[in-house]
Amino acid sequence: MEFLVGSVWAAGLAIGIAAFGCGIGQGLGLNGAMSGISRNPEAAGKIQVNMLIGLALIESLCIYALVVSLILMYAHPALQAATAAIGGH
Amino acid sequence: MQDLTKIVDMVTKCNWLLLILVAMVSVMITATSFYLGVVAGGLIVAVNFHLLKRTIQKDIRPEKVMEKGRSLTGRVLIKYYIRFVASGLLIFLLISNHVVHPLGLLTGLSVVVASVFLVTVLVVTRLYFKEAV
Repeated sequence: MEFLVGSVWAAGLAIGIAAFGCGIGQGLGLNGAMSGISRNPEAAGKIQVNMLIGLALIESLCIYALVVSLILMYAHPALQAATAAIGGH
Repeated sequence: MQDLTKIVDMVTKCNWLLLILVAMVSVMITATSFYLGVVAGGLIVAVNFHLLKRTIQKDIRPEKVMEKGRSLTGRVLIKYYIRFVASGLLIFLLISNHVVHPLGLLTGLSVVVASVFLVTVLVVTRLYFKEAV
């Protein structure tokens, strides 16, 4: 039982912290890009490209965290044994 | 500017090429669930990247930034969260129903990151040799 509770806690914390960090990172990146474009509209193309690649990398970090937390909850190798030990299916 | 637009096109092409390559390799040497994971993960991130590119090219233009200012940041972030929830739901369904192998899914989800790194290495190498000549 403790194993399951621990897994759910870990999954929740993992995705929560990752989404928090990625949200802040993306917000800061977008904020910087907006400031840059409004100060120098001619550089918009360059800023867009760099921002696109940066945001894609940040986003993939959050998706990794989501996958790890889903694995912890649904596909953990020891999950079946733990569920069976407490009388579940 | 021209070069930078080329870099995004290179990353987009590299995404699909890498996805096809990894899918072919996993078809040959791994189980079906692993292969399905690679394909599903690769498709999710490639489509995500495409949508992100469209959002940025459509919304973050100088005239729009001048007109709407920082409220555009919120708009882009809302679109990001919609995309994230949609891909999260997909990944949830795939993992909770045990349709795919989690490691295969992680491999597929790494396609965009890998192609960004590949393109970066390629561009830096080209720049280095260009300067050396």
